[in-house]
Amino acid sequence: MKYDFLDSALLSKLGSLPVESRTPMIGNVAGKHKSPHRGSSVEFAEYRKYVAGDDTRRLDWKAYARSDRYYIKEFEADTNLRAYFVVDTSGSMAFSGKAEPKIQYARRIAASLSYLLVNQGDAAGLSVCTDKLHLEVPPSRRPAHLDRLFTTLGSLDPSGDTGLVPALHTIAEKIGQRALIVILSDLFTDPDQLADALQHLRYRKHDVCVFHLLDPQEIGFEFDRPHRFVDLEDGTVLVAEPNLIAEEYHTALREFLTKVRDVCHDANAGYQLVTTDTPMEELLRGFLMGRLSKRKH
Amino acid sequence: MSFLQPFLLWGLLAASIPIIIHLLNKRRHKTIKWAAMQFLLKATRESRGKKKLRHILILTCRALGIAALATAAARPIVSGLLGWGNGRVDVVVLLLDRSTSMELKPGDGYDSRRKVVVEKVRDTLKDLGGARLVLIDSASGQAQDVPSPEALTDLSSTAATDTATDLPALATKAAEFLAETPGRAEVWIATDLQASNWKADDERWASARAALTALPQKPSIRVLGLTGPTASNTSLRLASSRRSGDQLVLDMEISRAENARGTVNIPLTVNLNGSRSTESLTLNGQSLRFQKRITLPTGSDTGHGWLSIPADGNERDNAAFFAYGPNRPIKSIVVAPSGESAGYLQLSAAPPGFGNQSVTRLDPAKAATLATSDTSLVIWVAPLPTGPTADVLQSFLAAGGQVLFLPPGQGSDTTFLDLKWSQPSEAPLGKFFILKDWNHDDGPLRDGIDGTQLPADRLRAIKRQIPIGDAAPLARWDDTEPFLVRRIVERGTAWFAGSIPDYTWSNLGDADVLLPLIQRLVAVGAERFDASYLTTVGSEGSKLLPGETRTRLDDYGTPDPANAAYEAGVFKLGDRLLAFNRPAAEDGPEVASKEALDTSLSGTGYTLFEQAGKPGDSAVSKDVWRAFLIAMLFFLISEAILCLPKKTVESSLPTRPGAKATA
Repeated sequence: MKYDFLDSALLSKLGSLPVESRTPMIGNVAGKHKSPHRGSSVEFAEYRKYVAGDDTRRLDWKAYARSDRYYIKEFEADTNLRAYFVVDTSGSMAFSGKAEPKIQYARRIAASLSYLLVNQGDAAGLSVCTDKLHLEVPPSRRPAHLDRLFTTLGSLDPSGDTGLVPALHTIAEKIGQRALIVILSDLFTDPDQLADALQHLRYRKHDVCVFHLLDPQEIGFEFDRPHRFVDLEDGTVLVAEPNLIAEEYHTALREFLTKVRDVCHDANAGYQLVTTDTPMEELLRGFLMGRLSKRKH
Repeated sequence: MSFLQPFLLWGLLAASIPIIIHLLNKRRHKTIKWAAMQFLLKATRESRGKKKLRHILILTCRALGIAALATAAARPIVSGLLGWGNGRVDVVVLLLDRSTSMELKPGDGYDSRRKVVVEKVRDTLKDLGGARLVLIDSASGQAQDVPSPEALTDLSSTAATDTATDLPALATKAAEFLAETPGRAEVWIATDLQASNWKADDERWASARAALTALPQKPSIRVLGLTGPTASNTSLRLASSRRSGDQLVLDMEISRAENARGTVNIPLTVNLNGSRSTESLTLNGQSLRFQKRITLPTGSDTGHGWLSIPADGNERDNAAFFAYGPNRPIKSIVVAPSGESAGYLQLSAAPPGFGNQSVTRLDPAKAATLATSDTSLVIWVAPLPTGPTADVLQSFLAAGGQVLFLPPGQGSDTTFLDLKWSQPSEAPLGKFFILKDWNHDDGPLRDGIDGTQLPADRLRAIKRQIPIGDAAPLARWDDTEPFLVRRIVERGTAWFAGSIPDYTWSNLGDADVLLPLIQRLVAVGAERFDASYLTTVGSEGSKLLPGETRTRLDDYGTPDPANAAYEAGVFKLGDRLLAFNRPAAEDGPEVASKEALDTSLSGTGYTLFEQAGKPGDSAVSKDVWRAFLIAMLFFLISEAILCLPKKTVESSLPTRPGAKATA
């Protein structure tokens, strides 16, 4: 493959697993995803009273025979899914400690899931955000669209401050129909502002899923000597003895992670903290299986 | 504190290694591009203060641990005498009190205080090494170099003596020596702090202090106070001796510690010209004054001997030495007009039965012919002398004679020794001047040796004259006017008594008061002849005159020929026969107080070691390297504890966050 973030072996292993939505989707074509509208699929939904104007072909005569009343038998409608991958390309996503850069890990997730989605007839789009740039690749079901999407992913160059929160607000405003929003970011932003953005998406009835990407070194914070830390986003410099401040660092990180998780939970967004040394197959299989099981219940 | 391996103290520089490593580490940082800066900034803000203090403590523990190791390697020594004092000393000047009281033992079975302190000083200097030791002993008062500390105990100038100590003189000598000796010096004063030796009020302390503090390098002064408990001790002292015909009368005093209780029988050995006899003395209380009469062999012109009690806590205060010469007639002169008064006085000065006492009367008109060379007492019942006669009496007094002035019967402005007589005064009709108050311990009206009081209160006077002038009163009338006053003139004493033995004056002639008064004055006056056979060790009279040699005659104890000049005993100095006894002040139990020391040595920054003579504490210097090793361990363990990671709250950070997905 010409894209180093695509793993054909992995894709073939995951090919049998569908990418499901947790909420009904509104698509423009029939698909395999549940729709909020009643349609003509084989899945029975409910009975309702006949009202003038209903299609008489959908009257349940057997029910009429039993109750002498007119009932309309409704079935679930299936439609296609539109997924947006929101990739944070702020400077902090370029960090790589003990594993690959977070941006590369984000590329692999977005590309793999996009491939699976298009392969099952759904549409995949991309939204890239920094404080200065908001680039969008509109969702499409066409296989040829994948090439454009992958090219865009491959050209991402993390820099500057994060623009995640404005990007999410923009997406919430812009996408009229329900969609699956997959956020790939280290979420180094204000959790309260993030909460607002997620609530905005929730209000728009989008199915939001957050992959919180962190490098193992960012969590472990293990160093053997003093370091001069240079901020990847604004260039701030700090000389510190990591051993002396490790405890306070871990406390601050723990507080942040707890808050972010709570924020996501409150916004009914799927939250997944991922370290960039997590095997991709394990991560994606767990993600897909988790969503599958939701559908069954 | 001193060090046996001082060069290893350079190792203290290694204490800076942890700090240097810390500083280097801080500079040797690695640059890393970091994303999670917000947590880093917050952690840095919150870690200041407590964490920094902890880190400083860790660094301090490391540095101190290394310092303790280096100090231990240098073999530190703490001396009981030196304490935690200064470091290197170039010269130690030891002022050694060799007085008799220093021979007191700290306890039964121990060596004397002098020996204990000399050994301590020897061991201390041996341990420390390097310092020059100069000894100024109290007996010779001379500074001498001690070639090696080991020699200190073998020197004759550290041996026991029967002298007293003049500490102000020793301090002055030390200051003089140090003024000519450059370098860092210490002055160690080894003494039992006996008050009579320390002489806190002596004016010479001021000059000694000034000299010591004015030295270019102010010396450290350490007073090794040899105080504390002692073994039980009894001392025997000869107060005076006089020959009375074929008898030698010795006034003795035996005393023991103030806390001694009960009655003890003490064997008293008397040695007279080599013949010994022993008798038993019963001592009840702290002291006993008694008179010992020794019958001299027939035809014995001169002789000597000693009295002793058994060995005890101080072996050098158990003997008293005496010597005597040919029997001398005791002559008195009464300068008075003939009459009742002169008769009583002559009778009192030479009572019948006192064969060697004689008295002559001299009419006041012939007073210019007064010859006093062989006279013990002059009784002057005449107007006070003037001119050449006064000079004769002055010389007589200076030579140790006694003069008793009695009222002449009329007042005069003539003075003798700045004293004069008042006008005669008479008691109101039917009333008397009664002797009311007199000194029972001192003077010719004192109580007897056995404590019996003189019946002086029987003295009644109808007429009197008051001695006027600056003199010490020893007896007073009932109206507080003085009856008897004393004026000491060099070795002799002039006495003024305010009435005469005449029935128109008083009942002084009844002999209740007059006889003992006159006889005691005669005895004191006669002592100037017998006193020539007695002297005190270290006094001017005990020194050899040009051409004289010193030969010891008695067989008491074990004499030390090297210290013959400082020992008690009977000696022949050329043609002179002398019995040397220790100074009476050496028997005094008073110890100089801390305040007295502060006064004497104020401004010198002296250190007092009160237990320098403590028995059983033979180790004067202690190797304390173990303490420093323990300190090092303590610091390292503390450092390890401080470095231990703080018990963290169970982290909620997932290691494999993929499993933590929430819907």
